[in-house]
Amino acid sequence: MHLIRDVLDKQLVDRQDCNMGRASGLIVHLGESTQPRLTHVVIGGPALWMRIHPSLGKLSTKLARLWGPKRKEPVKIPWSRVKTVGKDLKLDVDAKESGALDWELWIARHIIERIPGGGSEEEE
Amino acid sequence: MRVKRLAVLSFLFTLACKPPTASEQMDSIISWLGTAGMAGRAWLNHTTPDKYTRQTLELSHDSLLEIGNGLFKSLPPGVDSASLDSALTRSREHVALMAKLVDQKDAPDFRTLLDSLQADETLVKQLADSVEAKEQ
Amino acid sequence: MKKILQLTLGIVTSVGGFLEIGSVTTAAQAGARFGYQLLWVILLGTVCLIFLIEMAGRLAAVSKHTIVDAMRERFGFPFFFFVLIGMVIVAFLVLVAELGGIAFALQILTGIRFPWWALPVSLLVWLLMWKGTFSLIENGASLLGLVTISFVVAAFKLGPDWSSVGASLVPTLPDSDKANYGFIAVSILGASISPYLMYFYSSGAIEDKWDRSYIPMNRIIAGSGMTFGGFLSMAVLVAAALALRPKGLQVDTFPQAALLMTTALPRWGFYLFALSMLFACFGAALEISLAIAYFFAQGFGWNWSEDLQPSQDARFAFVYTIIILLAAVPLMLRVDPIKVTMVSMALTSATLPLAIVPFLFLMNDPLYLGKHRNGWISNTVVAIVILLSFVLAVISIPLQIIGG
Repeated sequence: MHLIRDVLDKQLVDRQDCNMGRASGLIVHLGESTQPRLTHVVIGGPALWMRIHPSLGKLSTKLARLWGPKRKEPVKIPWSRVKTVGKDLKLDVDAKESGALDWELWIARHIIERIPGGGSEEEE
Repeated sequence: MRVKRLAVLSFLFTLACKPPTASEQMDSIISWLGTAGMAGRAWLNHTTPDKYTRQTLELSHDSLLEIGNGLFKSLPPGVDSASLDSALTRSREHVALMAKLVDQKDAPDFRTLLDSLQADETLVKQLADSVEAKEQ
Repeated sequence: MKKILQLTLGIVTSVGGFLEIGSVTTAAQAGARFGYQLLWVILLGTVCLIFLIEMAGRLAAVSKHTIVDAMRERFGFPFFFFVLIGMVIVAFLVLVAELGGIAFALQILTGIRFPWWALPVSLLVWLLMWKGTFSLIENGASLLGLVTISFVVAAFKLGPDWSSVGASLVPTLPDSDKANYGFIAVSILGASISPYLMYFYSSGAIEDKWDRSYIPMNRIIAGSGMTFGGFLSMAVLVAAALALRPKGLQVDTFPQAALLMTTALPRWGFYLFALSMLFACFGAALEISLAIAYFFAQGFGWNWSEDLQPSQDARFAFVYTIIILLAAVPLMLRVDPIKVTMVSMALTSATLPLAIVPFLFLMNDPLYLGKHRNGWISNTVVAIVILLSFVLAVISIPLQIIGG
């Protein structure tokens, strides 16, 4: 497997095939005597903007503190939860619980549901 | 190499920086006279709404006024500017009057004005040809 | 049977959805100023568009990726973001122009000035996005757009000289006014080769769950739909050349364009023009708003579908809500829609390499398309047209801006 080609920027989907963002970063564990090992997939947040420029990463962290859902840690999914790598990365997680949909839910609750006809994100 | 490219560029820019020439302004004037004529003709045939016709005639009048103001500064020598001026003033007044007649639904008077507008348009077209000839 | 129905619908929608304020304005200006002389540019742009639309559908059918999906994956986030910014700015300007087209059509019909229409019109577009489904938007708007066929009727009734029409399919340069000629040519190319159409089409193919069995159908839809669409643009140009040019009319404003069909179709021409613009721009406004929202949602991996309730894809709905409302602002401030149209079409041309070059790389990538990769013909045709429109844009846009 080619990490940059096959994993980075791939679409992530949860157990119910719900889109939960794209792989915006990878965490690789570099042991002193062992082979480097892929441990986590990172979703959204500063990891993404840092790829354009480190200052954009810092800016996005600052802005997130002022506005939006309160979340301290970036969303990291352990590599062991990755079921298959194909067109999408299928993850054995629940999108809502993982935190990857925090922004989606925040915008749904604070903006979209308040407009008539917006529906409710609780419905299935 | 670079100097040559700069020279070409600055030449292009000076070309582009030129304000519209007199013959370009004459083209615009003819375009607006044509607009007033076409919109008027269509209204007489009962094929366009009153409000559209009035607004278009008013727009033609305003545009003619605006272009006319700039035109006489850039007219090349030897053009009969007196008859151009009188033709433009007259047609502007006629267009303004036509806009008023639309609301009064006065077709006969409207038709008379439209015909004289057409005569002025022919005159302006001839003058435009002479402007173009003088500019070259 | 179902496929035949889909095929017919596909062709009909691409015909009905082809014209919008950009193609009408640029073609009308071209005809009014240069007669038939610029017809070859429409031909060139349409041929290029046929290839691009076919590619967009093929990519979706084979790889199940929209163009944006594949671009983010293949080229990574920083490059994707760069393209996103460029495309969104241009598409936003085009959206302003389309809303302006609707508002202006309403102005000439009612006499109420276009800035007053800007907000109601954008709210209506938003409401259809909010409540409507993908097929309603695609089919409804395009079926109404079939009224644009009246341009063809008008062009035929004016009795064009077919041999000179045919002769102008070969490129020539005018004796004078070359800068203007170049600028209109650039704008025509920008109006024909609209990237938002590719994004919309490829997302539609995913929404309709296309697979490899759709490849032949895709080819026919792209080929015939866009060909008929190109004929519509040419009809506008021919009508302008025959009806407006002899009177010296230039299409600098919308009320002047409204006279396009009054000679050919005295009784109905004016109203057919207004309705054509109304429906065509309405359809285009919906498509562009969707294309912008798709661009964000697919690029960032959000939920997206025009068939979901807004709260089920909140970020997607949020993007189009903001974009549509923002687009009303310049119009309320009385920015002239025709100027926005010409600028946005020329900018589309100038930014075509940004949209098309990465797309061409994808279309040649065996990872995505396997044996269905591009052949050399489609690569060459698209590359040449894109290069040409870029060079023309770089030369003529500065000339036009500084020349005022």
